[in-house]
Amino acid sequence: MNSIITHIFRFIVFILLQGLVLNSLEVGLGIQLMIYPLFIMLLPFDTSVMLLLMSAFVMGFSIDSISNTFGLHTSSLLIVAYLRPFIFNMFSPRDGYDPLKEASIFEMGQRWFVSVFGVLLLIQHFWFFTLEMFNISETFYVFQKTILSVPLSFLLCILLQVIFVTKPKER
Amino acid sequence: MHNLLAFFRRFRIFLLFVLLQVLALSTYFTYLSYPRSQYLTSASSVTSSLLETKSSVTKYWNLGVNNRNLQQENIRLRNKIKGSYIRLENSLVKIQDTLYRQQYEYTPCQVINSSVNKRNNFFTLNVGYSQGIKRGMGVFSDKGVVGVIHSTSQHYSVVKSVLTEHINVDVILESSGAFGLLKWDGRDPQIGSISGISNDMKIKKGTKVVTRGGSTIFPKGILVGYIKQLKPIEGKPLWDVSIRFSEDYRSIQNVYVIKNLLKEEQDKIESTIPEEKGE
Repeated sequence: MNSIITHIFRFIVFILLQGLVLNSLEVGLGIQLMIYPLFIMLLPFDTSVMLLLMSAFVMGFSIDSISNTFGLHTSSLLIVAYLRPFIFNMFSPRDGYDPLKEASIFEMGQRWFVSVFGVLLLIQHFWFFTLEMFNISETFYVFQKTILSVPLSFLLCILLQVIFVTKPKER
Repeated sequence: MHNLLAFFRRFRIFLLFVLLQVLALSTYFTYLSYPRSQYLTSASSVTSSLLETKSSVTKYWNLGVNNRNLQQENIRLRNKIKGSYIRLENSLVKIQDTLYRQQYEYTPCQVINSSVNKRNNFFTLNVGYSQGIKRGMGVFSDKGVVGVIHSTSQHYSVVKSVLTEHINVDVILESSGAFGLLKWDGRDPQIGSISGISNDMKIKKGTKVVTRGGSTIFPKGILVGYIKQLKPIEGKPLWDVSIRFSEDYRSIQNVYVIKNLLKEEQDKIESTIPEEKGE
């Protein structure tokens, strides 16, 4: 019960942060920061894919309606939600996932988090920028945007976890 | 039948994914050309009130610059009013001027949400159809052209800004009279380009670029920017003209919406031009 409230709180905070702050931030060089995949990432391990997809859809459309992108964020977030189970399986630890744990950097360790979330974030950013440009002659620019944006978004996501995700107690 | 159900059950996740993805992509691609509903845009009531709150906080950041711009515009206009002039010919008395009729009306408003870092940037204004705003009206600020109204709700409207792929504003070079279409390549919010200028024209850097006023959207002579660079396009008798926008779209706040009172008349007479077939 407690965790549902936490996730709803995160849902709202991420939408507001992305829609009101990050989307109006101009870094230059075509960099755009996107942190909302972290919400899908942090949902419990035993969440069904249906629920993942639905929450991705609702979240994406909320961000889209704030930032006038009409479905761009939704589409890229749906990719993340759909691919999450596959990527989690690929990087599964030896004895499977502990459903009591959370997919955060503190509980799952740095190496696991960097590889899993890195792959998801890379796919999401690439999909977003490809759709946004939608032009083969701009391929190089899409790559430039992706490569420059992903590390910054990633750092921001780690920072957000330090703020919003409580560290597990020492056992 | 049984097999079909089993198929659906097996692939239900993938099917749901495809369904939602199609929904998202179809709204994205159709919206760029024509808005079907306002629920997904910042003109809807929930998001626009949210953005209004945000704007009430962030508008103070650029307050100094915006105030200075407005003051400069005030001075320009004040120089034009009757009280600033001395009458030279005392014998002439103006009774009623029937030679002029007002063609354009301006509605002042504020940009409450804007972005410059996307491929297609849309701005939100705090006026809507209850203030007489309609799709297709032009928007400009005291420093330059801003865009065209894309969709409206009761109190808000969304502007397709100059920083969009298919904006195609008619522009003209003030000195030479060469004209072309304004484009934006999606990279630098300060740099745009003009297509369709023939390379036998002599063009100097720093030439003023203004709207042409051919379409019914903008009156003639609204500033767009200044020519920054000229390059010949290989294999075509055209210049690749890049311009520096006179307006800084990153800190834009006070804008005006143009209502053309003679738009219907012009559209009506232009619709009698026979369309060429085979195009």
